[in-house]
This record gives sequence, C-alpha cells and structure tokens, in this order.
Amino acid sequence: MSTPVLETENLVKVYGRGPAQFHALKGLTFGIHRGESVAIVGKSGSGKSTLMHLLALLDEPTSGVVALDGRPVSKLKPKVVSALRNETFGFVFQQFFLNPHQTVLENVTLPLKIAGVPRAERDRRGMGALEQLEMADKAKNRATDLSGGQKQRACIARALINNPDVVFADEPTGNLDSATSETVEDILLNLQREHGITLVVVTHDEDLAGKCQRRLIMQDGQIVDEHTGVLPAGAGRQRRAAPHGASRPRRRILPFGRGARR
Amino acid sequence: MKSVDLTRSALSNTLRSKLRTALTVVAIVIGAFTLTLTSGLGAGINQTVDRVFGGFGVEDTIYVVPQMEAGAQEQDGPPEYDPEAGAEVDSGFRTGMLSATDVETIQELDHVAGVDTEVAAQLEYVQTTGGNQYQAQFEYALNDVLAEYAAGGAPDRSSMEATVPEDWLEIFGAADPEAVLGETLIVAAPNAVGQITEVEAEVVGVTQGTLAGVGFSPIPSVALAEEVAAVNADGYEGQLPESYIMAAAEIENLAENEDTVKAALAEEGLWGLTVEDQIAMFEAVIDAITWILSGFALIALLAASFGIVNTLLMSVQERTREIGLMKALGMSRAKVFTLFSMEAVLIGVMGSVAGIGLGLIAGFVTNGLLTADDGPLGGFAELSLFGLDPLAIGGIFLLILIIAFLAGTLPAARAAKKDPIEALRYE
Ligand SMILES: Nc1ncnc2c1ncn2[C@@H]1O[C@H](COP(=O)(O)OP(=O)(O)O)[C@@H](O)[C@H]1O
Ligand SMILES: [Mg+2]
Repeated sequence: MSTPVLETENLVKVYGRGPAQFHALKGLTFGIHRGESVAIVGKSGSGKSTLMHLLALLDEPTSGVVALDGRPVSKLKPKVVSALRNETFGFVFQQFFLNPHQTVLENVTLPLKIAGVPRAERDRRGMGALEQLEMADKAKNRATDLSGGQKQRACIARALINNPDVVFADEPTGNLDSATSETVEDILLNLQREHGITLVVVTHDEDLAGKCQRRLIMQDGQIVDEHTGVLPAGAGRQRRAAPHGASRPRRRILPFGRGARR
Repeated sequence: MKSVDLTRSALSNTLRSKLRTALTVVAIVIGAFTLTLTSGLGAGINQTVDRVFGGFGVEDTIYVVPQMEAGAQEQDGPPEYDPEAGAEVDSGFRTGMLSATDVETIQELDHVAGVDTEVAAQLEYVQTTGGNQYQAQFEYALNDVLAEYAAGGAPDRSSMEATVPEDWLEIFGAADPEAVLGETLIVAAPNAVGQITEVEAEVVGVTQGTLAGVGFSPIPSVALAEEVAAVNADGYEGQLPESYIMAAAEIENLAENEDTVKAALAEEGLWGLTVEDQIAMFEAVIDAITWILSGFALIALLAASFGIVNTLLMSVQERTREIGLMKALGMSRAKVFTLFSMEAVLIGVMGSVAGIGLGLIAGFVTNGLLTADDGPLGGFAELSLFGLDPLAIGGIFLLILIIAFLAGTLPAARAAKKDPIEALRYE
C-alpha cells in the first residue's frame, strides 16, 4: 500500500483533571492508507468518536501525534487547521446537521461557501454532487422536507462537494432503517472505490463495517483487535443463521451486541 | 467565506426570527429618533441664529462693556476702599457703566476708528398722537443693526426717529406695517424729580422680534436716546457724571486687529465682544442644551444596546449546532465572529435608518406646524426649530453602528469560541 494519509503515534486523550480524569484514548498507534476504507468499531464509550475527532483535526490530543500526509499537525495554527478541514476532509454525521432554514442545495454547498467559492460555481458543483446521489430534483426543497435516507444522501453530497481526500463518517447509518442503511452504505463504499477517497467510518453496523477493507476494534480507549479484508456479504448472517429476505434484520459485530448503540 | 456571502448570511439570519429582531430594532429606533430630534433642534436654532445675524454689515464693530465683577472669583468679601481711585473713574466702573474716561480710553486705542456710545434712557410712557399712553422701555439704540425690519429700516442715528415692534401696529390703528411709517411716537421722559418732558419721534421702521431678543421694544435713534437721557439727568444737584451702558468701537480691519484690541481693552478693565462672539455665546448655550437632551437619547441607545446583546446571545444559543457545523467544516473563528458582529451591525443599520428617517419627518412636520405664521411660535422672524445637519445625521448613524458593533462583540466572541465537538455533541 501507499504511504499513510493519516498516522497516529501513541495517541492519548484525557478528559478532565485530577481525580475526575478520564483516559478516553490510551496510546494508539496506527496508520490509514490513501484510498482505504477503515471502520472503527466498538462499544459505546470505547472512544471511537474521540479518536475520529482527533483524526479529523476537530480536537487536539493530550499527547501523541497525528500526522497528515506524513506531516505532524499539532504545531499548525488554528486558521490553517480550519482551512485543512475545509479543503481536505468531508464529514457525514449521524444527526445529519442540515440547516432547516436553507434549501438542500444551500446545505450541500456550505463547505464551498466557507471556502469562498463564488455562488455560480457553488451551485453548479452542488447540482453535480446532488445528481451523483440522485437528489437533483430535491435541490430546491427545504432540508426538513426530506426523508431520513434523502437527508443522509444530502449530507454525503455535502461531504463530497470539496473533492476531499478523506471522508469521516460517524455512525452514518445510525438514524436510518435497515433498507435505507444498505443504500447509504453502498453509496459511501462505491464513492470510496470510484474516487479513491479514504473513508473512515465509526459504526455499530455490522454490514457497513464488513464492507470496509479494515476494521479497528476498540475497547476502553485501546485498539484490541484489527481485521483486514472485506467480509463476504452475509458473513454475519451465517453466524446468526438469520432468515433470508429483502428486509434483513440489523446485525452487530460480536462481541458488541445488545445495547451497543447509545 | 466571501464578504458578500457573509453579509447575505447575516441578513437572512437576522430576518429569521422576525419578531425578535423587530423588537430589538424598535429600541434602537427610539434612540435614533430622539437623537435625531435633539440634534435637529440644536441645528435648527443655530441655523436660525446664523441666518438672523449673518446678514449684518457690522463685522468691523467691537461692543465694549465694563468687565463685570472683574476678579470676583479670587475675591472673598468686598474689595477694600481705595482713596486713590478717583470718583470719576469709579463712577463708571462699579455701576457696570462706562465712564467718559473709559470712552476716551477706547477712542485712543490703536486701530479704533470711532466710538458710538449707548446712554441709559428712562421712559415714563409712550403715546400716539391723540391716543392712549402705554408703558414701554427702549431697546439699545446701537442694536438698530441687529433688528429685522418688516417695513422701513433703522432710524437715522442723528435724527429724532424710532422704530416700533410689529405688534404695536394696532395702537396706531394700522393693519399693515407700511401704514405706520411716518407716524409720530410721543416719548415721555421723566427728570430726576419725576417731571415729564415729552419728546416727539418719527416712526421710520417696524421690527420683527428675533431670537436674539432684538426688536420686541421700540429702538430709538442715538440722538433720541441721548435727548431722553439728558431729560433724565435734569434736576440733579451738581454735575451727574457722564455714563454709558455700552460703547460700539469701529475697528480698522477687524479680522487682523481683533485680538490686539480685545487685549488692550482687557488691560483697561473693559470687555470687548464682536457680533460673532455674541452669536458664539448664544450658540454655546444652545449646544449645551442640545448635548444635555442628546444625553438622554444616548441613555436610550445604551438600553437598546443591551437588547442587541440579549437578542444575539439567544441567537448564538439557538444556533449552537449551526455554528459547530460551520466550524467543523472549516470556518475560521474570525469569520464566525464577523458573521455575528455583522448581524449586530445590521440591526443597528435597520434601527438607525428607521429612527433617523422618522426623526427627520417628525422634526420637520412639527417645526412646520409650530412656526407657521399662525402657529404658536409664528411671531419670531425666521425662526426654525428643526434643521438638517448632514454631519450630525452621519454622526448619529455612525455612532449607532459603533454601539451596535460593540454590543455584538460579546455574543460574537461567544459564537467564535464555540467548540465544534461540544456544539455537535449527539444528544
Ligand atoms: N468532553 C468530554 N468530557 C469528559 N468525558 C468525555 C468527553 N467526551 C467524551 N467523553 C468520554 O470519553 C469516552 C469516549 O467517548 P466517545 O469517544 O464519544 O465514545 P464512543 O464514540 O465510542 O461512544 C466516554 O466515556 C465519554 O463519556
Ligand atoms: Mg460516538
């Protein structure tokens, strides 16, 4: 594989001070390669989101290093970090975070607006991204008028609008029903393959995790296991011997079964 | 984010919760409205003063009076008696009058071309030919140049002439000012023991009262005033020393020599004032009043600024997620700060434009009603109570924008400080 786009070394994150201190990440060292799809899986509270925030330069580690394209980012000025996020990263959130007062197109083009791209070009690229996700006909709708799946597709369009190197997705299917989840999963993974985008996804969803090339299993702020290779479709189903059907029940990767979702 | 996008976003954000924005704007409107009215009032009166005094060709005159209570501030109790100070010198000084010596001194100063004097003239009554007797006092004869004339003009200083105020027309049975010209005004002057001597004067002008207080009484010619004063002095035992209320010194090239002459006068214990000085004193009073009134308006604005703080703090609170998202997607602190400051400034713009507009309309309409010929203040010549001072209006606009911006800094800083992770925290 090529050089890692994201690397960490002995990454530690401690919340709070004194006796109330909580070690959310306990020294993680790993790399994510360009064009790779990586799933971070684990129980609720195991530190997945914390890790993703550090990788996405939304937060700073207590100690340790995050490097982007081989360059440590800890010494960069906030303004530079903001610009990096704007130009290099795309974000998909479980809660969508679409602005209800704006149209779908305006929501999708927000990163370009922040980047200072002129309106006409914004709209052109926004329509392009929406077409890719078969959402062009919803461009002028209010974001609140969309179904859950449509909302998440709008979010994916927003994450892709700036041609990012890395897309971070925190529980992207967490608020979707299983059929819609399947569609969104396929969209994300197809985009990752076709555009060579690096995909970092935090998830409980066994199917989604299985579709990624690598899985980092987290427990209590540490990576306890790592699986490589796309799991064959239905691999989890065989284990559970769930019935076949159009609407498959949601499954979770063992050992994080019930109650794993927050 | 480009400034055009920032502005557009700020505008659509302020219009998002219309009622809340409107209420905040109303508070600003009240402050801007009041400030516009008070500054307009000051501007109107000062413009009137300028207009009334502006046309006079008396720019080469310095009016001289004794320095009143010279050194009063440093002095405790009455000044000690000085036997060396002659009775004649004293006669003018202590009574607030100029003595003959003073006038001579003025005459001998450098750059003084000539001196006119104003005597105190005491009247018992005035009378029209075959008509009633009326109570009256003369205006200063030297004020003839400051008056506004509805008909005729200033009296010839060396003839027995006088002007009458506009509201005296009825005692002559005249309907319009022109009709009074040429009539006779009988002036009754008492002497020291109360005996009356009647002096006849021709009415040569009709005056309108001005804001400087000139023209509300008859203005005598210098000769008439002196004649009356001579009658007043009659009957005293011995010689009553000559004394004058005021002297008008004509100065060669006033612009250049004003300071020299004033300094020389001050050295002699005299006080010299040009017309411009008098206007300045008058305007200083008007300005002081304007500032005091504006102070109240500023308090209203201060209160309104807390409205902006409050509104924007609520807005920042409500839009926590939106702010968090924008920051996560790479919007810098500075841009977030600018966005919210701009919302504050926009509220300021809306409030000041509306308030200033309403203030101007209210000011001009009220002024029109009050100073119309049949209005309550219609009797003053050329009075306007409200004026447009573009500089002041611009200043008010700018001041409100600054206040709004300052009010916006607290909420804007709070928005800029928001941590995207905290803001986007799943709940
Ligand atoms: N700002 C914070 N202050 C204190 N503790 C925090 C904070 N954020 C997260 N934590 C704690 O750190 C742990 C890891 O949280 P998180 O990364 O969100 O877990 P996950 O995404 O795997 O559910 C949790 O126990 C959580 O309570
Ligand atoms: Mg999480």
